[in-house]
Amino acid sequence: MKALNRREFIKTTTTTTAGVAIIASGITLTTYAAKPQESNPVTNEKRWGMLIDTNKLTETDIDDMIDACQEEQGWGSEILSTGDQKSGWIKKIKVKDTATDRISNLALMCQHCEEPPCVDVCPTNASMKREDGIVLVDKHLCIGCRYCMMACPYDARSFVHEELTNQKEHMPRGKGTVESCTMCVHKVDKGEQPACVEAVDSDAVIFGDLYDSNSKINQTLKKIQSTQIRADLNLNTAVRYSGI
Amino acid sequence: MNRLIIVFLSIMLSSVFAYADQHIPNLGKKATEFKDEGEKAHKREGMSHAASLILQRKMHPELLMHKRDKTLRQGVRGGYIQLKKCIECHTSVDENDEYIPINSADQFCSTCHQKVGISLDCFSCHRTTPSKEI
Amino acid sequence: MSIIRYEQIQGKSLGFYALVAGLGAFILAALGAVYFMEHNGHHVTGMSNRIVWGLPHVFALFLIVAASGALNIASIASVFNKKVYKPLSRLSGLVALALLAGGLMVLVLDLGRPDRLIIAMTEYNFNSIFAWNIILYNGFFVIVGVYLWMMFERRMNKYSHTVGIAAFTWRLILTTGTGSIFGFLVARQAYDAVIMAPMFVIMSFAFGLAFFILVLMASYKWTARPLGDAIVNRLSNLLGVFVAAVMYFVSVYHLGNLYLAENSGVESFILVDGGIYTKLFWYGQIILGGLVPLALLYSPATKGNRTMLGLASVLIILGGIVQLYIIIVGGQAYPMELFPGKEILEGYGGIAAYTPTLPELMLGLGGIAVALIAIAYLIKFLPFLPESLADDVTDPHHKKL
Repeated sequence: MKALNRREFIKTTTTTTAGVAIIASGITLTTYAAKPQESNPVTNEKRWGMLIDTNKLTETDIDDMIDACQEEQGWGSEILSTGDQKSGWIKKIKVKDTATDRISNLALMCQHCEEPPCVDVCPTNASMKREDGIVLVDKHLCIGCRYCMMACPYDARSFVHEELTNQKEHMPRGKGTVESCTMCVHKVDKGEQPACVEAVDSDAVIFGDLYDSNSKINQTLKKIQSTQIRADLNLNTAVRYSGI
Repeated sequence: MNRLIIVFLSIMLSSVFAYADQHIPNLGKKATEFKDEGEKAHKREGMSHAASLILQRKMHPELLMHKRDKTLRQGVRGGYIQLKKCIECHTSVDENDEYIPINSADQFCSTCHQKVGISLDCFSCHRTTPSKEI
Repeated sequence: MSIIRYEQIQGKSLGFYALVAGLGAFILAALGAVYFMEHNGHHVTGMSNRIVWGLPHVFALFLIVAASGALNIASIASVFNKKVYKPLSRLSGLVALALLAGGLMVLVLDLGRPDRLIIAMTEYNFNSIFAWNIILYNGFFVIVGVYLWMMFERRMNKYSHTVGIAAFTWRLILTTGTGSIFGFLVARQAYDAVIMAPMFVIMSFAFGLAFFILVLMASYKWTARPLGDAIVNRLSNLLGVFVAAVMYFVSVYHLGNLYLAENSGVESFILVDGGIYTKLFWYGQIILGGLVPLALLYSPATKGNRTMLGLASVLIILGGIVQLYIIIVGGQAYPMELFPGKEILEGYGGIAAYTPTLPELMLGLGGIAVALIAIAYLIKFLPFLPESLADDVTDPHHKKL
């Protein structure tokens, strides 16, 4: 065995010490931090979507959906904003076919596009799409330029025109930033359904994973005819409608 | 040159005094109750000793920032760094038994932020009081 | 050609200080308006979730578009080697920078969170035309700054042609980018047209030149420096050509839109039954901002008359602001086609209402004041203006003809 000279001795000990220190500190941190588990990042193996059957959806259902959304997310109680300045995450829309005069009612909210124009145009990456297809506004980065509102084909986004207090804990909202339907991402991450879906008793609104062939939404979409609003824009929305 | 040295030294000295003041006057209601337990309270919430110390001092903006991006963009929920948990323990209560917003003057967040002159942007959107009733 | 001598203006007269004080008052009013709007939130403005960009954007985009156009005079001199325009190059660069600064100020101060402007510099989404524009605007400042340096520094004069070409290219890209902010909004019938980009370029030619002519004539008049007809008449003719070109593009844009059945709704809204927008289009943009200036510039009775040229320039600027108002506000007021082939009875639709408020107007005017005050001060401190632009200086052959 070769005798160690001084330089090599220092080299070996330093490496060993550093190695041990790194591993040991890692162990300490993990033992302490282990208790409250963080959930795993969402992946693109899922894509959350919604199917709204306008034949089954009554007008009261739509009102209930809107109320539930306001209750859950805390919008709609703006005092100073007037008319079109008020937030509207989900709207009741009544359309008439110009040829047949057939009237249908539907709830319109952020359609959570696969190719969202709002995300394309946002200069600061504040408009973003999660891996599982939910489109959100990162209000930490939003500078309030409102270009996303210009780009959205569904009039789905609102700008907060006044100072707000008493927001919901899970839904920070503030003056000068843009907001829209989050598909109740805080509930979905807990394995629950969006508030508006829970508010409807019938199966007029189905929520689920579009990719999962065992999910109700996937199977229903395979069976019945459905459509996307402004399908001509090729945005591949996650909210689908049948009966219009 | 001498003048420059004096200026330089006084800046150095003043920064020493800035750190010498470790006193946080307003811990908030729940946190004051736990005060004697010190770090144990944070540890009970699952925070490591190191993390709790770092949190109390300088790293809290980085930790909160890191977690905010993970939560919002990747859907990572839970864990010990949550703004609402900070607020839960560190808000004070006024004589009418109502929570005082944590960002109002001389409250937990604002005491230090006032002192160092850093604006506090969290609460232009985030809720400033615990959502649970007292 | 004799050597051009540049000299600062004195800037010590009562008139100069009165001008600066007047502009300063406008700027203060604008800052007050910003404080009012940002403190209360945008609910104090006429803007809403339907009209998300209002009067401040009209002024901001007008100034930005005019900025790139004002650089044209310098480009004509250095890129296309028209020596007559050479003495005006420095002023042209200055007006361009000042207008851009004013426009960006308005744009930035109308944001929901202007305090977070730094994010726009640190977080870039390279898919966003807005983000490209941020780079284009910053680059414009740098390139035109360098260009001015090349023109000022005699040793660097030889590079001014090369830098001039770069600046000219950059400004074309910049205006194309500004036009593209609208040109790629697929959802809105009024905007989704590629012609938006070249139309903005032509608009910039006209607006920028009109602004430049006003600045030039005012500064020469107030400093009692000679300004010959040779150069003014050339500028006047050029202005007429640009205005005609804008009108050509406007008609192609509207005719093209009319041809597509899906866009006939928004077209009849602007051209026929849009109430205020129709009135603004015909009376403001077409007659006041187009036909009247053309008549003033070309009719034998008014041709060559400085006052009439000034009036024409003012009308072109007003017409330009009206034109951007129709594009920006009118385009948003008309509802999007959510359900083609269906009529929306409830929940969305109808023409969105918008009444501009005083703070919005003050912010917009403040942008113009910032541009003018910057010009006034810089020509005082740096030699931007030739001491004489009399005919024998600018064009020695003029008299022989």
